Amino acid sequence: MLVQQRKRMAFWLILPTLLLIVAFKIAPIAEGVVVSFQAQSMMRPNPDAFVGWTHYKRAIFEEGVFGAALWRTIVWTVGSVAGAYIVGLSIALLLNREFAGRTLFRALFLIPWVIPEVATALLWKWSYGDEFGVINFLLMRLGVLETPILFLSSPGAAMASVIVVQIWKLYPIMFITLLAALQSVPRELHESAEIDGATVWQRFVYVTFPYIRPTSVIITLLAAIWTFQNFDIIYLLTGGGPADATKILPTLVYEKGFWGLELGYASAISLLMLLCMTVLSVTYLLVYRAQREET
Amino acid sequence: MEMKSGGLSRRDTIIAGLGGLFALGYKGANAQGQANLTFWSVRLNTPELSAALKGILEQFQRENPGIKITHEPVSGNLVYPKFMAAIRGQSMPDIAEAYSYHPLQFAAADQMEPMDDIIKEWQGNGLLADISNEFAYKKFLWKDHYWGVPYNLDIRAIYYRKDLLEAKGIQPPKTWAEFEKAVIATHDPSKGVYGLAFPAGNFHIAQHYYMAFMFQAGGSILDKDGNLVFGTTAKDANVRALTFLTDFHTKHKVTPPGIASHNTDDSHTIFVQGRAAFGMGAGLMISRIMKENPSMFDKVGILEVLEGPAGPSGRLTAGFYNPMFVWKHSPGKEAAKTFVRWFVQPGRLEPLYRAAPGQHWPIFKRDAGTPRVMENRLLREALTNVVPYATDFAYPGFGRPEMGVIDGEKMFAAPVNEVVVGAKTPEKAVLDAHAAMAKLFV
Repeated sequence: MLVQQRKRMAFWLILPTLLLIVAFKIAPIAEGVVVSFQAQSMMRPNPDAFVGWTHYKRAIFEEGVFGAALWRTIVWTVGSVAGAYIVGLSIALLLNREFAGRTLFRALFLIPWVIPEVATALLWKWSYGDEFGVINFLLMRLGVLETPILFLSSPGAAMASVIVVQIWKLYPIMFITLLAALQSVPRELHESAEIDGATVWQRFVYVTFPYIRPTSVIITLLAAIWTFQNFDIIYLLTGGGPADATKILPTLVYEKGFWGLELGYASAISLLMLLCMTVLSVTYLLVYRAQREET
Repeated sequence: MEMKSGGLSRRDTIIAGLGGLFALGYKGANAQGQANLTFWSVRLNTPELSAALKGILEQFQRENPGIKITHEPVSGNLVYPKFMAAIRGQSMPDIAEAYSYHPLQFAAADQMEPMDDIIKEWQGNGLLADISNEFAYKKFLWKDHYWGVPYNLDIRAIYYRKDLLEAKGIQPPKTWAEFEKAVIATHDPSKGVYGLAFPAGNFHIAQHYYMAFMFQAGGSILDKDGNLVFGTTAKDANVRALTFLTDFHTKHKVTPPGIASHNTDDSHTIFVQGRAAFGMGAGLMISRIMKENPSMFDKVGILEVLEGPAGPSGRLTAGFYNPMFVWKHSPGKEAAKTFVRWFVQPGRLEPLYRAAPGQHWPIFKRDAGTPRVMENRLLREALTNVVPYATDFAYPGFGRPEMGVIDGEKMFAAPVNEVVVGAKTPEKAVLDAHAAMAKLFV
């Protein structure tokens, strides 16, 4: 009786949240699915007309833009997450040691996380600029460069440049999470490994990493999801250029949906994006589970 | 927009339902019969322009106590998401001023109130004849209706440094050949001066500078009947214009090295800082020079629109007559039209022109040659050298909603950007852009 009452109580307590999730998450996705099968172009009559898989076929088979944007999105995501993980882990290992001012550094390293994305993009645009950028100005003043580096103007450099910005934005959450995980590693294990003659690298691989691996998997997965769907940084820094070198799926969806007024087509691309994310996430979790069962 | 035969669509039902809810909660007219209207502005949102607009709106409300205007600025970057969300939620503003092709695009979505009655009135009272260019209003004519009325002109010009040209003994160029020679001659890296600053980034305004050269080469996007000819009959001229423009960067190397990521503001800044002999810019450049580097004002001139391969008939440049429009489903649409009639009157918008000299130009000839313009040398030069030649990018055609998407998806910024970074040849860039545009004209 008491259990039933508690269950009923729990249901009523989570109901408002459930309703909000349905209203603001599930319903828009469902609407997106419906719209992706409709004409929904503001330039054409009869927007509700059912068009079947037309938009999906166009995205996958007829126009090269989706495939190219998907590839760039993967490069952008993998580069950003891998870079942020390496930087975050390095800082976490450093700040896991005892030294004066450690708390201050922990706070300072978090700053990029609290800066809004729009401000981040503008800050880096100002830093990267070929004419007015701080980086080029300093390097040229110091005599390191004769001509400015075209961080955002060269198709070869633009993707790397925006990835650096995303790494800068992501590493704080990586480092703070990994630092928390590092603090759960028993000190005795390190001490005994050291006595047994393990090198620093061996201690990291065989003692530290197994402890932080679950946290690493979760945080990289989350970071991959955030990055895969990130729009602001690239849109504000390059607008997807130069010559489409940084046009990723979110910028493509925005362009097709809002500037091209093709809501049906943009919804189809969004759902393909969601599908890619789902496949990636499920694969990743399955691999992780398999690894855990092995160990 | 075609009507469905029989029954209500899901969208119609939603619209009807929301309309009903709106009607229940509508405060469009209060107990005293006052009409409450929402006015969205996209292009009048800088502090100076907002202050000037506020004064104009206050004057309107003093003269029209039965109509209350609530002004809401809309960021240029968010203009489409905001309008699209408003259309889907049926919460469009009663009146708006926005980009060139918005009213046609929204008319295609069956959201616009025709403005034929205002155009007819203007025909009767002589205002139409006083508008400086018929493209100003005919660009809003689509499917036999005018879906917006023009209220201002936004120009694109080539600014030059008189002192640098004089030092080299060069007269202000009037033709493509003279322009090319002058740009190359004035490029002086040792003094930190580029020959030419122009934006070639993947941005909307950046693409407008290509348009001027396109017309001057005899090219266009549409023909006079509104058919797409960008990569067909106009291809050779468009390729020629693209080659001429991009050669300054790729061949002559007289531009800033990073123009492939530059938007108009970047080119403006380089020129205003005195680091370019020639600079392509909007009318806003005049304000920026006056405000940020007034000592340079006397050293700057505005070129006459260049004569290119098409000869005198092709002496055109890009200029955008921007619209005001009224929402079809506005409960106060008659009051909204009253506001539009009042707002778009000779002399009415003078505070806007004073707030940002050069940024906004009047559409009425009688407003152009005022003492405010004639006493400012750069405004005077813009008035004689640029304004009469400013035309829309649908030229020689008139209104097509598709032009909004072509502009929105930056379809003619892409060719400039791609050629400048070496990703495509001019011919390939034009043909690819044509293929992208052609999908809209199916």
